[in-house]
Amino acid sequence: MVATFLSSWAHVRSRRADGWSIGALSLCLLLLGPVVALILKALGDSGGLWGHLLDTVLLRYISNTLVLMVGVGILACLFGVATAWVITRYEFPGRILFEWMLLLPAAIPAYIVAYTYTDFFEYAGPVQSQLRMLFGWTRPSDYWFPEIRSLGGATLVMASVLYPYIYMVTRIAFRLTPASLFEIALVHRKSQFWAVGLPLARPAITAGLALVLMEVVSDFGTVEYFAVETLTLGIFNVWLGMNNIVAAAQISLVGFVFILSLLGLELYARSRQRFASTSRATHALRPLHLDLRGQTACILVCCIPLLFGFVIPVGVLLKFVLTGGLVGNALAIAEVLGGSVLVAGMAALLITLVSTFIVLAATYRGGAALRRMAMVASTGYAVPGTMLAIGVLIFAGSVDRSFAAVTGDGRASLLLGGVGILILAYLVRFQAVGYGAVLSGIRRLPDNMMGASRVLGNGFTSSLRRVILPLLSGSMVAGGLLVFVDVMKELPMTLLLRPFDFETLATYTYQFAKDEMLEEAALPALMIVIAGLLPVILMNRMLRRTD
Amino acid sequence: MLSSCIFRTLRDGLRALPVTLLSLLMLGAIVQSAHASEVNIYSHRQQFLLQPFLDAFTAETGIKTNVVYASKGLAQRLQAEGEASPADVILTVDIARLGEYADLDLLAPVSSDILNANIPAHLRATDGRWFAFSTRARIVVTSKERVADGAIKDFEDLADPQWQGRICTRKGSHVYNRALMASIIAAHGEAAATEWGNALVANLARRPQGNDRAQAKAIFEGQCDIGIMNHYYFGKMMFGDKPEQRDWANAIRLVFTNQDNRGAHVNISGGGVAKHSPNRDAAVQFLEFLTQTTAQQLYGEINFEYPANPSVEPGGVLQSWGSFNRDELNIEKLSELAPSAQMIIDRIGW
Repeated sequence: MVATFLSSWAHVRSRRADGWSIGALSLCLLLLGPVVALILKALGDSGGLWGHLLDTVLLRYISNTLVLMVGVGILACLFGVATAWVITRYEFPGRILFEWMLLLPAAIPAYIVAYTYTDFFEYAGPVQSQLRMLFGWTRPSDYWFPEIRSLGGATLVMASVLYPYIYMVTRIAFRLTPASLFEIALVHRKSQFWAVGLPLARPAITAGLALVLMEVVSDFGTVEYFAVETLTLGIFNVWLGMNNIVAAAQISLVGFVFILSLLGLELYARSRQRFASTSRATHALRPLHLDLRGQTACILVCCIPLLFGFVIPVGVLLKFVLTGGLVGNALAIAEVLGGSVLVAGMAALLITLVSTFIVLAATYRGGAALRRMAMVASTGYAVPGTMLAIGVLIFAGSVDRSFAAVTGDGRASLLLGGVGILILAYLVRFQAVGYGAVLSGIRRLPDNMMGASRVLGNGFTSSLRRVILPLLSGSMVAGGLLVFVDVMKELPMTLLLRPFDFETLATYTYQFAKDEMLEEAALPALMIVIAGLLPVILMNRMLRRTD
Repeated sequence: MLSSCIFRTLRDGLRALPVTLLSLLMLGAIVQSAHASEVNIYSHRQQFLLQPFLDAFTAETGIKTNVVYASKGLAQRLQAEGEASPADVILTVDIARLGEYADLDLLAPVSSDILNANIPAHLRATDGRWFAFSTRARIVVTSKERVADGAIKDFEDLADPQWQGRICTRKGSHVYNRALMASIIAAHGEAAATEWGNALVANLARRPQGNDRAQAKAIFEGQCDIGIMNHYYFGKMMFGDKPEQRDWANAIRLVFTNQDNRGAHVNISGGGVAKHSPNRDAAVQFLEFLTQTTAQQLYGEINFEYPANPSVEPGGVLQSWGSFNRDELNIEKLSELAPSAQMIIDRIGW
């Protein structure tokens, strides 16, 4: 990381002082501040704890984390790519409806899904009760039923709510693949999917997959509830159980290294692949018509992820709200909703601006080093929320102390205790989401677009304003909306960093869900989903406009 | 067009990025001013369990309370805030967390005659940095149907091979089980505690999972016959508004363990005054309030916890479960032994 910084700094220095590069570099440094603070913490003395960890639990943590990553990765790709393919390539009843509904699971926090699944699939839940009634079983020993609180259960839960990250980007990639290429595949009797669609969508799929895997590595709520011993769980055992925050920071960097190496692998694999279609597709990609069997298959492909990611969890929540009556104070919830929307909106706006600025600077002004720096700066997503919050605290603490020293007032505070630190934390964590969306948008533009505009006599900024930004707007808004939904769901950082008496829907839900008071948690949890509906629908509009 | 409108906003925003960034940061600079009649609380205790105390305190004293609730990391927040911290009072639900604050030197010593008179010496720090407000017993529960009354008397009995495949617990690394393991270490030493833990894990009916209530539920459903839980969950299940939980509670028998030897293992909920508290007098007043009769009775009424103040009688429901002897081990010991306990838990795979 230091080497990346030095080389990007050298690059900036070698050119004439360029506001774009310097600005982007400073923003990257701000984004990396909390991660660096965590790394510095990890450099401390962990009191020889690693010997104990290696002997006892560490290998289990690592192997569970890897199995979870592989499992969720495969299942989410299966869900995301298959749905994106049938939605773009085939015509079938309900296609328009599925197109946006498939995005809905993105609005539900994974840990809420974990709670509802437990209610649904456990011994006393409706599924097993029905089975018992049907077959006359009376005791658990009478039959075998898969345990939902397990590695497998966690895989299903996470894949069901995370696949939209892949679905969204892959759909655009499929749609933007020139129709002529599919026709060539037809002529040569090759599979349109395997020979054309999949290879050309690979960069998009990996971009989505990277987000999914970062979520998996940093998840705490689901694995805690299902008692799956991943690295995240290990972090908390070491931190809170052994009062050893240094070792905890070190373990959280192990997960961070996983992600960095994955990103590196992908960069390497892609370094020799780059293409851009310089001409608009001569004719639009038209969905193919299918016979009844094919149509049924398409509907099935769309229904399965939707069932697991939306229908079951929302159904369980609805059941609680309807049977329990409107438990809780609707007025209080409305106020909480206001707070949520405010911080989510601010964060979404800021992240869209920051990531667009960085992507533009890295693409048109900085060299390869700044591009790498920009990528490294978006890895805050891979650090578990609470640990990242600790990094943010240390970072903000040093900023505040400098501020206090300047003002001469020991109690002066710039960040800590206010909304500012929350927004900073969201920026550090969800920058990856905005950055990914804007970057994939700019990658779709032909390389020579900027050159052409400059040749026509436009200056750099006016080229940006008149050519590049209008073409990027869809990706920017889509990224911003995704960030909005993500912030609405965010729990661990909000919980720890918020000002006095400040609640978001996620923290409000959590105080009940933590104690498995699902009846009380159901209404605010549903509100998170409902608040996510509008952004999801808007996002879908943006995605459709890309063609 | 909505999208073009959004786009225009974004474009203009991009131009004004530096100003936007700065102004957002400045938003954070609006810091709560230290007001004389306020007390700011960092709480590990959940909101719905704390609110009644806050309401009673404000009603009695007119002092306003502001709270941040979080289960993890508040100590690090306090540490990062340093001298500028607005926090006055820290509240936790176990001794290990209090120990963490004390180790990081985040608490101020308090010498208050009221606090010293109300809270017995083994339930407060010798230097007055923290105080217990309520005690909670970790107990064994057994199936009324399938385990004979009196078959289990001590936590040590759970190691008996006759219970193989019949015990359910939550994960060993949960703070309640970690404190239990610490109390076993305190009583028998690390080697014996490891042996006990290994035997307990060998007797488990299923992978450790769920919370304490989930163990009662598993007994009700017949998945296992013996569980470990904090005593107050029984009250919450029995007197809560969930009929199915009443069934779980009715299926189990409470065993306050180790009555013939060291007494039942208890943990505490407690708190202290923050080192850089801006409203120190109000903070001490709040702690004193928590140890007096009104608040001490509230602990029982709201959450079926036992008062830490020996002169306050537990409520009727608590009394009906019978009186019992507590392990009078200095509660600080549990916090000291927590890291060793976690290491054993790692080794035995609980």
